[in-house]
Amino acid sequence: MAAAGSSWLVFGFSTEEAAGEPGPGLGPRRLEPGPGGIRRVWPAWSYVVVETGAGLELRSAGRRQRLRGWREALPSETHVVLRGAAAARAWRRGAGLRSAAWSRFLPRGPAPRPLPLLPGGFALPRPPFYRALPAGLRARSLALGTEHVLLLGTGGDVHAWGGGRHGQLGHGTLESEAQPRLVEALAGVPMAAVAAGGWHSASVSEAGDLYMWGWNESGQLALPCKALAEERAQGEEAGAGAAALSPCPEPPEAEATTFISIQALPALLDLPQEPEVSGVSCGSRHTAAVTRGGELYTWGWGKYGQLGHGDDASSDCPRRVEHLVAQGLWAEAVVCGPWTTYVCVREPPDPPSSTADCSEDPAAGTCLGPTLPSAPQDQTCSDSVPPEPNSEPQVGLQLHEG
Amino acid sequence: MAAPVGAEAPAAGPGALWAEVRALLPGTEGEFTLALSGEVDPCVRPLLRRARGLLYGAEGPAGGEAAALRRLGHVLRDYSWEKLNAGPWQEVSKAWRQVYTYGCLFGALAEISAGCPPVSAVRLCDMGLLMGASVLDNVLGRLVRVLQQHLPRERRGAAGLAAEVRPEGPGPPPRRPLLPSSPPGPGRGSAGPLPAAAGPEPLLQKARPEPRPAPAVRPEEELPRLRCPSLESFRDKHLIPQKPVVLEGIMDHWPCMRKWSVDYICQVAGCRTVPVELGSRYTDEEWSQKLMTVDDFIGQYIVNEKSMGYLAQHQLFDQIPELKEDISIPDYCCLGEGEEEHITINAWFGPEGTISPLHQDPQQNFLAQVFGRKYIRLYSPQDSENLYPHESQILHNTSQVDVENPDLVKFPNFRKAAFQSCVLMPGQVLFIPVKYWHYVRSLDVSFSVSFWWS
Repeated sequence: MAAAGSSWLVFGFSTEEAAGEPGPGLGPRRLEPGPGGIRRVWPAWSYVVVETGAGLELRSAGRRQRLRGWREALPSETHVVLRGAAAARAWRRGAGLRSAAWSRFLPRGPAPRPLPLLPGGFALPRPPFYRALPAGLRARSLALGTEHVLLLGTGGDVHAWGGGRHGQLGHGTLESEAQPRLVEALAGVPMAAVAAGGWHSASVSEAGDLYMWGWNESGQLALPCKALAEERAQGEEAGAGAAALSPCPEPPEAEATTFISIQALPALLDLPQEPEVSGVSCGSRHTAAVTRGGELYTWGWGKYGQLGHGDDASSDCPRRVEHLVAQGLWAEAVVCGPWTTYVCVREPPDPPSSTADCSEDPAAGTCLGPTLPSAPQDQTCSDSVPPEPNSEPQVGLQLHEG
Repeated sequence: MAAPVGAEAPAAGPGALWAEVRALLPGTEGEFTLALSGEVDPCVRPLLRRARGLLYGAEGPAGGEAAALRRLGHVLRDYSWEKLNAGPWQEVSKAWRQVYTYGCLFGALAEISAGCPPVSAVRLCDMGLLMGASVLDNVLGRLVRVLQQHLPRERRGAAGLAAEVRPEGPGPPPRRPLLPSSPPGPGRGSAGPLPAAAGPEPLLQKARPEPRPAPAVRPEEELPRLRCPSLESFRDKHLIPQKPVVLEGIMDHWPCMRKWSVDYICQVAGCRTVPVELGSRYTDEEWSQKLMTVDDFIGQYIVNEKSMGYLAQHQLFDQIPELKEDISIPDYCCLGEGEEEHITINAWFGPEGTISPLHQDPQQNFLAQVFGRKYIRLYSPQDSENLYPHESQILHNTSQVDVENPDLVKFPNFRKAAFQSCVLMPGQVLFIPVKYWHYVRSLDVSFSVSFWWS
């Protein structure tokens, strides 16, 4: 949770470009805070749901939508799942939000665990929207990849299941698993957090060590990647500047290099100077990590600027995001969208006199609320997501009309 | 027809190329329907429409619009690529493959309108042909044909383009494991040694083993040979009883027998991008797949033979229709139940020493040998237990035994398995009944064409 004095920066593919409009370029952008600052973000590919002091807000190109009464979001390009105090509900994107595609009432109880976790199971941002978990599995958090699921248990154990063709389950094979299965290789080490990308997985131990496994096709595991090495070799032949190809600070000896395309067992990752990792997040094909010293490191696929180094190079070794250092910003948390990296930063004590460094969110200055003009083909304001029912949940929730 | 020395193309310059290319597209924006064979995420269609709008806007996308079109091509390809990799290749929806094709089309058109050399557009067309699904009446196939005519005569030196790797041949039938990652896209075997760069001799390149002599085929093991049997005779004596046989004479009139050579393949298909298998055999840990042009494949793996590369199990004739005209479908395929369109035709082109480990396929197979010789050993499915198939689901159709160097301590029953063998010569066609175990090693630079039918 971001405290007062924090703000969020985003690198990578913009919501404008996702709508086919010209993008704002490779530099970092600051999220317009809205009332009371932004506390949490849940990014999808073409939009992002943010939590402001006034509640949830859905932001896409040129458009904002208040999501009154809802507390948490699980977005995808086909649907958005929202969770409130008494219910979770899913709506279909792009088809008019008049009626929900799915609802589930939630029993009132102690502080809920974060989405996708729900009582008894977890939510999915696509049909069937809900899957039960085995009764004995006590979950602290859960992360969804493209084909797999990671679960962090209350005891610091990690379970993985789903598609395993790219080694993303960490069981040492390329087989898929239908049911949650303990990642044995991590069994001795209590974990504090897990993150799932498109086809890769990450886990941070309580001691601040980072483990990764899965597909390394763009260097997202920070293991030597053949395709990137070949690109670098080509670039050197062509005389291109080395900066564009993000070489590792200490490139491994060419003869000794074994390239890894798939890492089917967790591997310990060493960041430069070996700091303690406090948080990690995975996009489709990249990874971002925040250290206890307030630094942000990124690696993997960088074609849309999501690594935050101001270029479009991919990298198979972790690189510190220098923009934060240059601005004296302390990274507190990181959340990745498919092709983006959102970082929560604490402002320096003397903020810069202008905000010229970060381009403003283009939607800043337009009025908030559901009466924004809609993009062509989109719904009118009557598609605003109905507020969460306040009354006691009834058997068979009625679907609200817009 | 000799082109003037140093000429770019038969026609005059990029303007003529753009006009020819533009003529392949529907006349008006309204006729360019962007039809898809199913549902896709709502974010996709606005991008497709925007790209189409750029095409039909001003006088060909020029200047800034070419850049915007190129960018949209990238976004569409990258977005749909993730869908293409989101599950088993067989389950990927046709609609997403069509989106990928549009991404390749818009990208190729952007390259052409920006005046880039046609090879980059050819490569994009090939990516769409390999991984996409036809749109606009196979526009990519039609486009690549036009582009090939505009390539300079001197096409060598494409080594720089070869390295853009997003390997993995497209799928089924999963004879060669589609793993580590099934459809085309980045990804290879779990680990691999540093690859050889094209160019000077790499010191530490994994050396190819010494070529092995042609194995002796004992008379009692030798497969029977038949010259042009009648349909009934083949059906009654071989198809129904499921007995393998070498057929002679049926390829005699195929144009490939007099036309094909390594040079000819290079001329017709040199600039085209194909999936190549690297590594001794697909059961090895260092085995991987890589996309490269035919020129580069021939230069690095046929002519130089620094390490093992095999253009294997690739539907080359769908990609390059000109080559399809040089072959025919064996008449005996009409004895099957399936339609002719469902017959899968694969090309197998490689240096001496390529090995396909002992495995079985789920369909009948005619293996036609065009040039070079192959040593082939066959085991009946009844002997399956003695052949120790792999346990894993991916390799379940493959034996663990190295046929020409079996570990009889680990696999003692292998010696009990009876086999037949042959050296398949140019002009011969081997009938491999469904699920018949077969092991293949090339004895020369070899080109085979296989027909999988039911």
